[in-house]
This record gives sequence, C-alpha cells and structure tokens, in this order.
Amino acid sequence: MDFSQIIPALPDLMDGMWLTLKLMVMAVVGGVVLGTVLALLRLSSNPVLSGLAKAYVNIFRSVPLLLVIIWFYLAVPMLLNWITGEFVAVGAFTSCLVAFMMFEAAYYCEIVRAGIQSIAKGQVNAAYALGMTYGQAMRLVVLPQAFRKMMPLLLQQSIILFQDTSLVYAVGLMDFLSSARSRGDILGLPHEFLLFAGLIYFVVSFAASRGVKHLQKRLAV
Amino acid sequence: MSSMISINNVNKWYGDFQVLTDCSTSVSKGEVVVVCGPSGSGKSTLIKCVNALEPFQKGDIIVDGISVGDPKTNLPKLRSRVGMVFQHFELFPHLTIVENLAIAQTKVLGRSKEEAEAKGIKLLERVGLKAHAHKHPGQLSGGQQQRVAIARALAMDPICMLFDEPTSALDPEMINEVLDVMTELAKEGMTMMCVTHEMGFARRVADRVIFMDRGHIVEDCSKDDFFGTPRSERAQQFLSKILQH
Ligand SMILES: Nc1ncnc2c1ncn2[C@@H]1O[C@H](COP(=O)(O)OP(=O)(O)O)[C@@H](O)[C@H]1O
Ligand SMILES: [Mg+2]
Repeated sequence: MDFSQIIPALPDLMDGMWLTLKLMVMAVVGGVVLGTVLALLRLSSNPVLSGLAKAYVNIFRSVPLLLVIIWFYLAVPMLLNWITGEFVAVGAFTSCLVAFMMFEAAYYCEIVRAGIQSIAKGQVNAAYALGMTYGQAMRLVVLPQAFRKMMPLLLQQSIILFQDTSLVYAVGLMDFLSSARSRGDILGLPHEFLLFAGLIYFVVSFAASRGVKHLQKRLAV
Repeated sequence: MSSMISINNVNKWYGDFQVLTDCSTSVSKGEVVVVCGPSGSGKSTLIKCVNALEPFQKGDIIVDGISVGDPKTNLPKLRSRVGMVFQHFELFPHLTIVENLAIAQTKVLGRSKEEAEAKGIKLLERVGLKAHAHKHPGQLSGGQQQRVAIARALAMDPICMLFDEPTSALDPEMINEVLDVMTELAKEGMTMMCVTHEMGFARRVADRVIFMDRGHIVEDCSKDDFFGTPRSERAQQFLSKILQH
C-alpha cells in the first residue's frame, strides 16, 4: 500500500469535495423548503391538497434514489424543452440537484409534519386570538418552534444525504468519491484512494453525528 | 347600555354530540360577566365561539356590531380587537417577553417595532413585570406568565377581553396576583367575559353570572341574585360544592 500519492492528488479531491458539499447544502435547503410546503399541504383541511402531498411522499419514498437521479438526468432537459419549446442544456449538476431536492423533500416533509403536529393547538389559538392569519401563525409561531424541535432529525437526514450524494457517479458528476476513484485508477492505486475516501466520509459523518447528539442534549434542557 | 357581545341561539355539535344548545346571552359595554359551571359543560367552547376560534353551526354571535358567523367577516381583524387569555397562558416560548408583547402589534396592527416595544414595556410595568422584559417565558412562574399573557392581549387595545379559566392552572399562591390584575382591569371599565370558578372574584367584580350545564345556559342573572338564591337546583349544588373550598 502506498498512500503517499494521495497528497499530490489532494487539490483534485478537494474539487470533488467542494462539489459534494455544494450539492448537499443546496439540496438540503431546497429539500427543506419544498418539504415544508408539502407538510403544510398534507396538514391542510382540503382533501385534494393533502391527498396530492401524500401521493408525492409515497411515490418518492417507494423508488430508489439512484433511479430518480438517472431519471431526472434524462427527463429534466426533455421537460424544459417541452415547456420552453427550445433546447436547453441543463447539465448533470442541475438535474442531480433537482432530483435530490425532490427526493429528500419527501423525507423532510414527514419530519416537518411531525414537528408541526408536536406544537400544541393552544399556540395556534393564541396566535389567531391576536389577529394573526393562518400564514402568520405558521410563519411566526408554529414553524419557528417546530424547526427548533426538529433540528436534530433534519440534520441527521442531511448526514444521510451527504453520503447519498455519492450516487451522482451514475450520471458522470465528479463528486468526492468519483474523483477519488478516478485518481486512484489513473495512478494504479485504487485501493488506497478508496480507503482514503471511505475514511473521509466516515470522519465527516461521524463528527456531524456527534455534533447533532450534542445539539440534541442542549435543546432538551 | 349598548351591547358589546350578543350571543343568539347558538348551537354547536361535535359530530353527533351537541356541545352547545340554544345559548343566548349578551354582554354590555363595560360589563363584567362571569361564566361558571361543571367541567365539560361547554364554557370554553362558548367563549371560543365568541372570537371564532371554534365554529358553530346554528345561531349568531355579534361582537361590536359584527357578525362572527358571517363567512364574509374578516376574522383576523375581528380577533385582533378581542383580547383572549387562556388557561395555559400560551406565551410564545421562542420569543422573549417583550417580543411576545410586540409581535402581533407589529405584524397585525402594523405598528413600528419601537412603538410596539414601548407599549409592551409600559404594560409590563403595569402588571409589575418590567424587570423580566428580556427573559423567555420558561424563566417565569405561572402567575407571572399569565400576567404577561394579559398584558399581551391589552397591547392590542382590545374592545373587550375573554378569559378562559385564567387561574385554574396556577399554584394557589399565584392566583391572587392574576385576579388583582383582572380586578383592576374591570374597575377601569373593560368589558370582560370570564370563565372562572373563583367565586370570590365573581362576588367582588362581576355584574352578572352565567351558569352552564351540559351545553345549556341554565342561569343568567345579576351577581346578587346568583349568590342570593340561584333558581336552578344544579346551580345551587354547584355553588355549595365550590364555596366549601
Ligand atoms: N374537539 C372536540 N371534539 C369533541 N368533543 C369535544 C371537543 N372539545 C370539547 N369537546 C367536548 O365538549 C364538551 C364541552 O367542552 P368544554 O367547552 O371544554 O367544557 P368546559 O370548558 O366547560 O369544561 C366536553 O364534553 C368535551 O368533551
Ligand atoms: Mg374549559
């Protein structure tokens, strides 16, 4: 085993890590926003809206993420082409981002829904009694409390997402894992580079997990 | 006297279960009305119908000339003019005390942050809690939280106030500090509808007492009549049980 070749390869690997993190952060933000909208729809008293949101969640939770990534890679350009009537080059990054956002939104939706439901009805009544509209009661009273409660779960889900970003190899994106693999292959040191990549995934995820546990304890008091 | 709250033949069902049956009463401007009755008799439901926190299926409620049941009524606007105090305070735990008092003033009434906070501080001073302005609700005792909740409602300059058992979640030694604030408010001429079992408060402050049982308003009379000889047997039983404590 020869790990010395990893050091000169670090700038390339950093580029990969940068893409991985960019994809993760954007997918988390988009996924949480979309997931919150879905959660509000699911909790709406309108059966059509809540039915649609429920179907969305069930569909995305019943298909493999890898399939969604490939499918969006093929479908998003077609869809845009169909909408705008002209050919638009989308690129693997954008299609992956959309796929992750939409896929993760199904999971975030369930977390946010549970968070909203954990806020006592009395809080909503108090907000209404002060003259707030539904939107104000949600935005100013319920969601801030719900997000505080859900934060550990949301972060835990985001750590899973961090690992799942490695699936973008399927559409040729150079994320951290892909760049480690291709470097290793070129240099004829595949095992060393894969071990190194695994170590980095482990360190980042484990440290983040510990951070979440710590946060959970602090939020509990 | 002109009527502030007028409740006319209100009926409400939860599925098949009728919670309110033909409830009618009214509260005049400046009047203090105490609502009492056994647990589960529909007191909270009735008072929540007044500001439309609970919908009702039949009858009507008019608050300051506006029909609560009319689908065209702007309910948030109406509610912003009716103060409400809850059994479990319902302060917003993620906000400081002064933010609790300011948030609806700014977001609902459109007041500036400075104006809202100044008004909040003034009201906190009035309920004796100015020193706690920058704490969070969890750091205050139950009695203090309920006084903040009253101040929060007053910050909206309400035309009347609804109270739903404001002292029944409190430790006994904290009940009076809340009742004192309510008494002072009544003396200043606030129109008040209070669900409470504090009969001492009713004797001192109320103009009228309403007694509810199984969704009906059984007794609706002046305080003196009520504490003299209530006409219904249920009310007599209730009173003798309550007054023993
Ligand atoms: N959301 C609800 N669904 C069904 N029944 C309810 C609901 N809320 C209250 N009730 C019932 O309505 C009755 C009146 O309740 P409530 O107004 O809270 O009584 P009170 O305040 O006088 O104790 C009770 O029997 C209660 O069980
Ligand atoms: Mg009650």
